[in-house]
Amino acid sequence: MTFDRAISRQLHEEHAATLALWGRVEQSLASGAHDAALMREAAAALAGEIERHFEFEETQLFPRLAAAGEGDIAELLTEEHAAIRAAAARFMALARDDPPRPELRPVAFELAERLVSHVQKEEMALLPALDDLLDAHADRELQLAYAS
Amino acid sequence: MFANVAKSRLLPMSLPFRYFGAAVAFNVAAWALLLANAGELEGFAGGLGPVFGALHLVTLGVLAMAAIGATLQLLPVATRQAVRALWAVKLAWWLLVAGAALFAYAAATYRVLWMGPGAMAVVVALGIYGVLLFLNLRGARGMRVVVAHGWAALACLVALAATGLALVARYEHGLALDHAAFRNAHLVLAAYGFMGLLAAGLSNFLLPMLAVAPPPPARHSYVVLALAVAAIVLAVLGWTKAGALLGLAAAAGHVWLMERSLRARLRAPLGTAFVLVRVGWACLLASLVLAALGGMPALFGLLLVPGWLLTFLLGVLQRIVPFLASVHALGGGRPLASSLTPPRLLAAHAMLHLGALVLLVGGFAVPGAAAGLAGALVYGAFFVYVLLKVRHHDIRPRHQPATA
Repeated sequence: MTFDRAISRQLHEEHAATLALWGRVEQSLASGAHDAALMREAAAALAGEIERHFEFEETQLFPRLAAAGEGDIAELLTEEHAAIRAAAARFMALARDDPPRPELRPVAFELAERLVSHVQKEEMALLPALDDLLDAHADRELQLAYAS
Repeated sequence: MFANVAKSRLLPMSLPFRYFGAAVAFNVAAWALLLANAGELEGFAGGLGPVFGALHLVTLGVLAMAAIGATLQLLPVATRQAVRALWAVKLAWWLLVAGAALFAYAAATYRVLWMGPGAMAVVVALGIYGVLLFLNLRGARGMRVVVAHGWAALACLVALAATGLALVARYEHGLALDHAAFRNAHLVLAAYGFMGLLAAGLSNFLLPMLAVAPPPPARHSYVVLALAVAAIVLAVLGWTKAGALLGLAAAAGHVWLMERSLRARLRAPLGTAFVLVRVGWACLLASLVLAALGGMPALFGLLLVPGWLLTFLLGVLQRIVPFLASVHALGGGRPLASSLTPPRLLAAHAMLHLGALVLLVGGFAVPGAAAGLAGALVYGAFFVYVLLKVRHHDIRPRHQPATA
């Protein structure tokens, strides 16, 4: 998938990193391994993702999507953020334990599926829409806002 | 041309799901009709009768129905265009359901005078869909590979409707035409043209999305599309073997591109759905090999329709239905697609459907059709399961436009 706007490309790269990391988490759990370091890495990445990536989308991007007549997609993505935050809070609490508790496994699987499904929708609906909605000036402004 | 443009690219849940539900029901009806007349399968050479009726229950009732439902929801996402008229989507569904049922019934029972109204209803439904597809593609942005496949499929749809009406006019009014040539063109345009190109185009976008994999390189997909279009033109003009060989090259290229994309996926398990998708691809290749060799029309038909198109569609649909249901969900903590996917039911369906194919190809018509019917019923149970889960969790459509 290629995108015209720099902010779309940046979010796309972050999505790819998320998918790669959670792919590793899923494979590790499916193999029955207890990789506490990987779980802590995933928890740390998740904290950053939720604080920065989600908040930026909710404050800067979803309102633009809604203003362009795609309010239901913005609403859907916002609801998914809430569900991911709830699952992430449970995962981050459980990931601190070494060795991991058995409850970590179903929570991690749920979170992986929620993240993958969410990324799929943003890649299909949000990022292409940004390419249409943003001009070069708005793209630069959003890049600066995200960097700060 | 059409007023009442949908505000969003996300259609109300009831619109794609009415098409999927009808396809599931027609799938049961087709296998039941085949089972009741399994003895006629062996000698089937394309004339009217129950096997012809069952064939058109599948092609019109299942394949076209589900393809329209899926593309009406997926193309707006791929092309960044909202559907132009929700009322037209509903009208096309009513016409297609009534037309497919009437046409298949009339053909199965040799009531040729009833075939005309059924065919007309189907052609009007496909015409409405064709206009919606045209409007969508005309304003399309992004995903140029999908759009290019869409234009080619639309051209085939127009030619398909024309050849279909000509064939019905021959049965009803004795229109003088080269029946074999028109029948051959109709088959190629329907299976490899409209359905095949639509499936290939959406595969470029949908399968990588479902598998979390990179899409195939666009320039390779364009080469495959050009080969496929050239093959279809050759076959329609009567150069069947040359068309089949070129089509085989295109199909092999398509499968190679998709497999290369799937190998680079980020999630390991592909699930039962992709078993069906891969069997579908194998049957596509086998059908083209058989077309190039010539002969064995019954085996060719089995490989082409239930083997490739139906198997591929049922594989993809078992991923799309839970995905779309979860997208439309409200309440219940936004269910995951996996919570709307019954793995045992789908595994049972896959075994029954693939068993039916093996039995039919092996010449065991009655047990093959029985397994096919059982598989279709299990697939129906899967669809009902998703609907019940949606109801149970108080999941309602996200939005219903005020007017449609």
